[in-house]
Amino acid sequence: MDKSLSLVHVKLLAFDLLSLAQAPTDPQAFSRDGFSLSRAEVLGIVVSRELKPGRFLKFAVDDGTGCVPCILWLNHATSPYFARQRPQGVRLIADVANDQASLVKLGSVARVRGRITSYRGTVQITASSVAVERDPNAEVLHWLDCLRLARRVYGRLGS
Amino acid sequence: MASSGSAVGSGAPVTLKELRPPSPLFADGASLRVLGKLQEYSVETTIVMIVDGDASLKIDTQHLRDLSFRIGSIYQFIGELQIQPDNEVVLRARVGRNVDGLDLNLYYQSLQLVRQFQAERARYQST
Repeated sequence: MDKSLSLVHVKLLAFDLLSLAQAPTDPQAFSRDGFSLSRAEVLGIVVSRELKPGRFLKFAVDDGTGCVPCILWLNHATSPYFARQRPQGVRLIADVANDQASLVKLGSVARVRGRITSYRGTVQITASSVAVERDPNAEVLHWLDCLRLARRVYGRLGS
Repeated sequence: MASSGSAVGSGAPVTLKELRPPSPLFADGASLRVLGKLQEYSVETTIVMIVDGDASLKIDTQHLRDLSFRIGSIYQFIGELQIQPDNEVVLRARVGRNVDGLDLNLYYQSLQLVRQFQAERARYQST
């Protein structure tokens, strides 16, 4: 069995995510206990927020075990990557990203999904979706999900 | 608020009952996450008092302009502990939120499980 979890968003606690090892040959690839990972889902309280309109929203979520830096790109109008795509589709993507950015407020609980990346030697999430949780128990349920998956799924593939 | 800086420490979750010597978390400047029922609130000083059973803690909420307080509701705060020369202890909150509806038993039990898991991972990674 391929020891890869690259196609799924792995739910990890912050301390676990921040200790991932980066593959020396491929800066896009990370590994945990021998399994390759590329996407993750984290959930925590938003404890910092830096908005550069039209460029990005940088924020950090604290789940009680660590602080995960996250970046949500808002540069759809100027990015060469999006310049090659249909303008209508790009506008829709930009609107969704701006809506999500407006929901991220200090003290709110955010569920962030995206690619695991590295910036200046620190693991971060390049967000593809951000949702704000209203249920006060959401964070506890995320903790329990992370523990169950780490013990029963992420550590057992291929064994 | 457009910006609030980016390099911030994680607030270690701690129960109010644990927040006393000789706990290593009971330290001046420690970044903590606390939870309790709002017992008192002073508009003038912006100091609130939260309680959990017979333990209590003062929270300085001067930086939490968007949070409204209601006596008897449950609040969670992340901030830095300040132990003053007269041994008065205050948490200077960076963020706070109302968590009415939180299952407190589940929260505290889950917190113990998270701590066990962190200890397991630390042992695993050191071998």
